[in-house]
Amino acid sequence: MTLSVALGPDTQEGTRTGTEASTDSLTAPDIPWNLVIWNDPVNLMSYVSYVFQSYFGYTESKANKLMMEVHKKGRSIVAHGSKEQVERHAVAMHGFGLWATVEKATGGPGGNSGKQGGSGQGKGKRG
Amino acid sequence: MAKAFKYGLKGITGFLEPAERELLRSLIDDVISMLQPEERANQDPLAAMIGLDMDVQEPTDRAVRRLLPNVMKNDDGASLEFRQLTERSLRETKIGALRAAALDLDKDDIVLTAEGARHWSMALNDVRLVLAERLDIRDEEDAEHVHLMQDWSQAEDVESYLALVYNFATWLQESLVQAMLQSLDTRA
Repeated sequence: MTLSVALGPDTQEGTRTGTEASTDSLTAPDIPWNLVIWNDPVNLMSYVSYVFQSYFGYTESKANKLMMEVHKKGRSIVAHGSKEQVERHAVAMHGFGLWATVEKATGGPGGNSGKQGGSGQGKGKRG
Repeated sequence: MAKAFKYGLKGITGFLEPAERELLRSLIDDVISMLQPEERANQDPLAAMIGLDMDVQEPTDRAVRRLLPNVMKNDDGASLEFRQLTERSLRETKIGALRAAALDLDKDDIVLTAEGARHWSMALNDVRLVLAERLDIRDEEDAEHVHLMQDWSQAEDVESYLALVYNFATWLQESLVQAMLQSLDTRA
């Protein structure tokens, strides 16, 4: 796995459609995973939005909405996919300095069904 | 005085005084040295080459742990396994961005391509994350408190000095990211 390529936004598309599932026989291909971004008091709101726009290719309004969710709720699910896909995203997010984790999706798609954790974290970001 | 980054015909440009460049360079060097993977005598060179590190452990230093966080919230075992496969590459990615930014500090005027700006924003972010750990910024209140330190004549101890440096890096990163967002708008 060459992880440095994970930083390029355009490398993501190809892997979404292709031969992903066959490489890891231990993981059932149909179990969805979430990429979660956690709030911290250091990362700039503008930077978080920039990362969402430039890496995931999200529109400004979608990026800002997710960023505000991180800011206000302490966390946000910003992407779904196979385990391998969200892990690749997580490494890219760590490359940007965002605090990202992966977790098995427990509810329906898009549901805000994640575990409530990390409540001790600060709520704000420097702006 | 440094000038805020701005987006224009030449790309993203900025200007820093020699003392500011020197300061940034030393901050960047500090973060690089924290991220440098330690060399072990019995390391498998092939594994290292492809980015594997089967002996890796969760970092003990808080700041390094923030730079290289666990990938799962409640599963240290799986996180460690993931670290073995990815941490070395992640360290190299970060060091690459930090080194690229440090190279740009050799010139008076800073002119950045989109790629260069991305490296700078990552480097400044990592510098700020490390400073924030040293300043013990845990929540918004701590951050507000640090933010109040704006006057260099107030710098009388290490902590107040670090706070001023943190605020400078924050200001610089914010101006850079605003310029980067503007460049995204223009391209769209």
